[in-house]
Amino acid sequence: MDTLVARYSRPAYHQTELFTEQEQQDLVDGMPSLSLKFAMPPVAHPSAWLRAATDDRSNPACPIKIAHGTTTLAFRFQGGIIVATDSRATAGNWIASQTVKKVIEINSDLLGTMAGGAADCQYWLAWLGMQCRLHELRHKRRISVAAASKILANLVYQYKGMGLSMGTMCAGVTKEEGPALYYIDSDGTRLAGNLFCVGSGQTFAYGVLDAEYRYDLTVEEALELGSRSILAATHRDAYSGGFINLYHVKESGWEKHGFSDTNPIFWKTKLEKGEFSNVTSDFSERV
Amino acid sequence: MADRYSFSLTTFSPSGKLVQIEYALNAVNQGVTALGIKATNGIVLATEKKSNSPLADPSSLSKISLITPNIGMVYAGMGPDYRVLVDRARKVSHSGYKRIYNEYPPTRILVQDVARVMQEATQSGGVRPYGVSLLIAGWDEGILPEEEVEAAAKPAEEGGEAKKLSGKTGGILKGGPMLYQVDPSGSYFPWKATAIGKSATTAKTFLEKRYTEGLELEDAVHIALLTLKETIEGEMNGETIEIGIVGPPADHLLGVEGVEGARGPRFRKLTPQEIEDYLTNL
Amino acid sequence: MSSPFSINGGACVAMVGKDCVAIACDLRLGLQALTVSNNFPKIFQYGEHVFLGLTGLATDVATVSDLFRYKVNMYRLREERGIAPRTFANLVSSSLYERRFGPYFVSPVVAGLDPKTGSPFICGFDSIGCIDFAKDFIVSGTATDQLFGMCESLWEPDLAPEDLFETISQALLNAVDRDALSGWGAHVYIIEKDKVTKRLLKGRQD
Repeated sequence: MDTLVARYSRPAYHQTELFTEQEQQDLVDGMPSLSLKFAMPPVAHPSAWLRAATDDRSNPACPIKIAHGTTTLAFRFQGGIIVATDSRATAGNWIASQTVKKVIEINSDLLGTMAGGAADCQYWLAWLGMQCRLHELRHKRRISVAAASKILANLVYQYKGMGLSMGTMCAGVTKEEGPALYYIDSDGTRLAGNLFCVGSGQTFAYGVLDAEYRYDLTVEEALELGSRSILAATHRDAYSGGFINLYHVKESGWEKHGFSDTNPIFWKTKLEKGEFSNVTSDFSERV
Repeated sequence: MADRYSFSLTTFSPSGKLVQIEYALNAVNQGVTALGIKATNGIVLATEKKSNSPLADPSSLSKISLITPNIGMVYAGMGPDYRVLVDRARKVSHSGYKRIYNEYPPTRILVQDVARVMQEATQSGGVRPYGVSLLIAGWDEGILPEEEVEAAAKPAEEGGEAKKLSGKTGGILKGGPMLYQVDPSGSYFPWKATAIGKSATTAKTFLEKRYTEGLELEDAVHIALLTLKETIEGEMNGETIEIGIVGPPADHLLGVEGVEGARGPRFRKLTPQEIEDYLTNL
Repeated sequence: MSSPFSINGGACVAMVGKDCVAIACDLRLGLQALTVSNNFPKIFQYGEHVFLGLTGLATDVATVSDLFRYKVNMYRLREERGIAPRTFANLVSSSLYERRFGPYFVSPVVAGLDPKTGSPFICGFDSIGCIDFAKDFIVSGTATDQLFGMCESLWEPDLAPEDLFETISQALLNAVDRDALSGWGAHVYIIEKDKVTKRLLKGRQD
């Protein structure tokens, strides 16, 4: 079974996935048939109807606007994993909130990030936290990041085509895996990797992150790089902004490194380091 | 085919003259005299209404026309050409101005527009110049604040005499009365007082003698009638004289009452009765 | 979603004070979510006391502002005087309606002082020239809803120039902070009878 799973689920990336016997049981028969718990629209093809009504990518004129727009990133390095996000929620061009917590603390060891539908991410990552806790209670040991992420990936796959909208990253450090990072989205994609940026501002974050990223970054350098990448994205992406939410995940669990307003950070970065030269800082009065 | 080769009839003579324009001026100089006098607080336009038959109904004849509520016009020369120009002036004051700026053109702008129409007739194929000279009188609202208009008038007073000028001497900036003459060539001139038509020379000599700076509208009407009397051939009465004035807003001509900010036309024609009243006081 | 009015983003507001008017705009130029420039002013001056704010499709903002530069220059040459704000507003209206069946995708705002009386004048337009005369304030752009909210709560009659500056600045800054497509700095003009003051505001850069 191990080899079978490994053959079909391992990404090109070299990290090996370690599923214990029990974890595989969880994955196979621990899945509740959740679809029965949700009220479905009373139409012939609920998934098609939902896609037309709520997915503004396939139907820009969709009547139900789900909060979108985000920049989230996470990367592995020698000291663990850095997870950073912005905090803006938009509905169309309306900024619904500047103080959204897009890092979801699944439990004291696992972090999830939120991009896409805010409610979808919030609900299913909380549900994932529950599954992880049940796993711990059943097996008296922590779940691996690989298994946790796969529970989520299998779940969203069940709902594929019904309008779920999530682009999430699961980050955790375990003894068996070391720092482990997975990308899961509502299409059913599940990838392990060193470095991910997700959301409308992902390209801007990649720009900074790719330029400066090394695996042997110090913790301090890594935190600064995460923060600086989000800052770049909030500056150029209209749908990202607000506060920078910074986390460092270690084997002992995650550690929060602040929820800080981008505004003072931006001007500090500009004035002290001379970056963002496209923005003027000359506000002298002109008549 | 013929229209493809339609050259302008107005072509230069070897001596550099445009004789067609001179012929048009000849037509003007055979026309009935018309005159205009600018006062400090308005303008008067006056002319004789001549009919060559006692059977004609003079009340249906009108030689002085309203163009915009603040601008009026009179002519010397060919009546039919004049009516065409009145139509064009009224039309262009809307299509070329009011429909764009939602306000009526200042006098000079209208004069330029009419002058352009007349000039085009001296350079286009298949047409002849208009056989009229025009006197165009109008009041401009101006855009300068009152204080600045007063201040602008100060240097003029330095002459010593304590003339009671309102400071308004016309024009787009200060506002006030303006009087222009437009000729068949399309050239135009601003005047304090002038006359056109058959007895223009006589009338102008007379006006030079009687015109004074700081003239009031009432005096200007008086002088206009005296000037007309010098040159007129027939009898002078309310039926044979036509007078148009640009004066204070004539709110009674508005047609409505109680509309805030609504002001009547400054240009209006005097009724035969009003003219009779002036004549008795002559 | 991709209405021509909200591709590039931007916001503009004008307010009446006591013997003064103010007009302000943001500086963002975007292409949907991507912010391309943070130095794209949307206020143009056409006379000593005549200002025009233009929001909407950036290419039309540039075209329309140049068109009125031409028209106002021609007016000044022809009439040997500057254009008054009310006259200019009517020129804007008639020029926009000329394109009734292929409009410029702009929402103009006019602010100024009447040259004769010195009284404040503001008005706004839809893209085909319907004039909205207002006694208090005019808003336009992608942050219209937010600006209405801010203006309705902050504006009061007869504000002195300095208070008007504070009011319009707070209204604009806080409105664009709730609009994804506006912001990235702002320009404010305070127009008084014998002084026009331009100030640059430091706004959030996210």
